Amino acid sequence: MKKVIVAVLALAILGVGTVALIRSRATPEPVTSTYFLMDTVLTIKTTGGDAAAINDHLHELALQVDAMTSYYQASSETSRLNASAGKGPIPVSEEYANLLRTALSVELTGGETTFDICVSPVSSLWGFTTKEFRIPSRAEIASALVYSQPDQLVVSGTSAQLKNPRARIDLGGIAKGYSLDVMEAYLRTVSPQPSQVIVDFGGNLLLYSAGRKTDWKVGIRDPRGDGIIGYVVSGDAFVATSGDYQRFFEKDGTRYCHIIDPSTGYPARLNQSATVITTLEPMHGAMGDALGKVFFCSDASRQQELYEETSKQGVVGVVLVNAAGARSTLGPITLVSTSDQ
Amino acid sequence: MKHSDRITAVVLIVAVALVAILAFLVHGTQGRTAVVRVDGQTVRTVDLTSTRAESMTIQGVLGPVDIATDGRGAIRVTHATCPDQVCVHTAPAKSPGEQIICVPNHLVIVIEGNRSDIDALAQ
Repeated sequence: MKKVIVAVLALAILGVGTVALIRSRATPEPVTSTYFLMDTVLTIKTTGGDAAAINDHLHELALQVDAMTSYYQASSETSRLNASAGKGPIPVSEEYANLLRTALSVELTGGETTFDICVSPVSSLWGFTTKEFRIPSRAEIASALVYSQPDQLVVSGTSAQLKNPRARIDLGGIAKGYSLDVMEAYLRTVSPQPSQVIVDFGGNLLLYSAGRKTDWKVGIRDPRGDGIIGYVVSGDAFVATSGDYQRFFEKDGTRYCHIIDPSTGYPARLNQSATVITTLEPMHGAMGDALGKVFFCSDASRQQELYEETSKQGVVGVVLVNAAGARSTLGPITLVSTSDQ
Repeated sequence: MKHSDRITAVVLIVAVALVAILAFLVHGTQGRTAVVRVDGQTVRTVDLTSTRAESMTIQGVLGPVDIATDGRGAIRVTHATCPDQVCVHTAPAKSPGEQIICVPNHLVIVIEGNRSDIDALAQ
């Protein structure tokens, strides 16, 4: 009798174990694709659905946004607008006009200008457009700042104008986030639905799931050391990070990062990184991308005010590491520290 | 302990061990290899379990990229001819999913395997 029980028990363990393993193998493997565009890398990891085709289509959508917004492609709407600076309004597409309006609305957030697509003449002085880095003189910065203000750009219906002949716009601080908006809109319509899609576009994440996952663990990169400082738990969202640790140059022991504070014309120095989480709603990818720069350029008290204002517009939470390396969060999120990362 | 009890114990332990071995064979070990890709094509895989530091030069789209392991499970770009040096500034990669990217060279170093602790990295 006992032998029979033992045999049955052993068979049961083997059986259940094997079935569990087969089932775990049956869940579709994610398909990860990597593309290079917009001077950065686009990594897409899709699980379920027609994953490889979805990845390629998302890349195609990003290429279309690049073709519309690029500072470098002569045929883009940005280049046409820049080429007509000082020559009166030109017609632009409705999509482009909407993107410009989103940029302008972030610029007006909170009053003080800490995001400005018109600051590109100053960024160019520092060499961030050509990658021939240099420290411009105070006089150079002061004179460029005059025509690098947000009021240089006037958008009316489907026409846009740059007032000063030397004014230039660069949508590099919002185009990647906007690409995620376009991708998210497409993903909603795909059939069959993929179970999960993670898009990483040069510091901007799109977390999308068919089942509206609520427990994504998003690691926050340690701005100075290896690995992560911890993670936050989020639902489906856009997650935009601005940091001083990837694009910068150093001269005489000072770090000059690529994010120029439009109010001073100098690289922002108050923070090491700012991560802004926004809800999956239209234009929130673009808004989060731009707001990342706003939080990055602001001090702690301004950040608190900004959060109170933007939390009504879809900002879920913000993770901050200030210049001294102190970590903090704004909103109903918790940074869970990982000791060994 | 009776003789039959001992048999019972042995049979059950063997059953559990078989499942464990099967699980290992199916899923294998993960996260100990760095894969170097240029334009999406794998050009090198690097064993990160080796305790010997290793250096290599990979030909990128723009020019040579020098890569080194530290013998303690991490890999980094030590030298590249790209203008922005973002790859050289990137901290060493060691955990599954971590990447080092050189855009001008279309080069990606990624640590293979799924990390169990996070789904995505904000950086």
